[in-house]
Amino acid sequence: MPKVFYILPSGETVVVERADGSLMSAAVDLGLAGIDGDCGGVGSCGTCHVSIEPEWADRVGPATEIEKDMLDLDAAATPTSRLGCQVELVPELDGLVVRVIGR
Amino acid sequence: MPDHQDPFRESRSQSGVQIVHCDGEDIPLVLRLQDVRKAANDWKTFSSDHPFKVILHSEENVRSVRQLPIEIDPPEHTDYRKLVEPLFRKPNEVWYQQKIVTLVNQMVMDAIDSDTIEAVHEFALPLQSRALTHLLGMPESEAKTWIGWGLHVFHHSDNSEQKGAALDKYVEMQFARAANEPGDDFFSILNQADFRGRKLSAEEKAGFASVTFAGGRDTIISTVSSILVYLGEHPEALDFLRADETCISTATEEFVRYVSPLTAIARTCPMATMVAETPIEAGTRIALCWPSANRDEKAFRDPDQVVLNRKPNPHVGFGFGPHNCLGAPHARLIIRSLLKSLCDHVQGIQLLMAKPLMETESSYTRQVGYESVQIRFIGK
Repeated sequence: MPKVFYILPSGETVVVERADGSLMSAAVDLGLAGIDGDCGGVGSCGTCHVSIEPEWADRVGPATEIEKDMLDLDAAATPTSRLGCQVELVPELDGLVVRVIGR
Repeated sequence: MPDHQDPFRESRSQSGVQIVHCDGEDIPLVLRLQDVRKAANDWKTFSSDHPFKVILHSEENVRSVRQLPIEIDPPEHTDYRKLVEPLFRKPNEVWYQQKIVTLVNQMVMDAIDSDTIEAVHEFALPLQSRALTHLLGMPESEAKTWIGWGLHVFHHSDNSEQKGAALDKYVEMQFARAANEPGDDFFSILNQADFRGRKLSAEEKAGFASVTFAGGRDTIISTVSSILVYLGEHPEALDFLRADETCISTATEEFVRYVSPLTAIARTCPMATMVAETPIEAGTRIALCWPSANRDEKAFRDPDQVVLNRKPNPHVGFGFGPHNCLGAPHARLIIRSLLKSLCDHVQGIQLLMAKPLMETESSYTRQVGYESVQIRFIGK
């Protein structure tokens, strides 16, 4: 399970040592501010919007078409925006840094 | 649920809109998922600042106040919504979830002990009202009054105006009660709320109460009733959920997508615009058609099938954009708790009779839920 750095909307960085599941579920398990995951991870609610730090963008991969359709309508989206629920935390992502966009 | 047919398929693939003639007005329903999302998000072009007109038929005759925060645009909408957002997000907290789980388990056990029940009025309606007492921080005994209002607090074939007046009177009484005995309930919170440096007016508070009591009522009742019918018709579904309870969450989203109990929410266009390829004149209304968006073949494979582990499932059953459903966390909690309780305590559901509740407008008829459902819960 990889280590993930979440930069919260407040600017504080939270380190999750053994992050499990998805970028959304690992954050919800710890109650991190700005990631609600209301729909449980099916990509409906958009409450797990994160921006991948550019140096990690290639390894995480681009948003799927379903994510793009939602993120295109979010003024806070960046070129590396993803829905956290659609990013599985595989071992290759050890050290990943993401910014939580929040609602 | 073979009855939940999609009446919008043809128009969705052809023009992307379907006109509904409503009280002398021609209102285009927006049918495709991404068109619905775009319009829901773009409040400047598709405004909610039109009291009594956020649903297809004007509610001028059944209520006298602007519903808040649904019938106003940002930035006022944003500030109004912030006042009640903490209350409506309580369902994401563990202590609150335990309360609803306890309530649902008790209702399921009672239903098992009964021989047969009429699930719309004897299960779904009481469940909605009793759960709402917890959300609003009211004694559960208050649910008795709310259940007495029936499936919809405003609309009834004979006495809509009378029903609207009954709600107004009740709400006024509760705000007065909360002023004398302040607590942490919904009415006290609104009495004490600070909106841009001032207290809310009586009319504003009544506007919050109006949508709180009307908004998440028939929608939850219809969804719960439809789920029970589906589980009665598909005995294998409960076994599927029991085998992998992580699917309770995906099944919840799928039932909301599939049932989509609210057909449309209207917006008013202050300036001329386009939806799909259809020109819209300034000052006229369009409506966001959630059930159609939720069957959009471009986003959902096998859209007419219930797929309990559907993922991703980018439905708009709870709306989209700044006005997305405030009660969504509560609705999700109720449905997830119900499915979990049925997995734990019920061997199966025997469906004896189901009479669909149909909604008819000038250009479509669709099922929104059930008028009545006779079922038997078979305990483990």
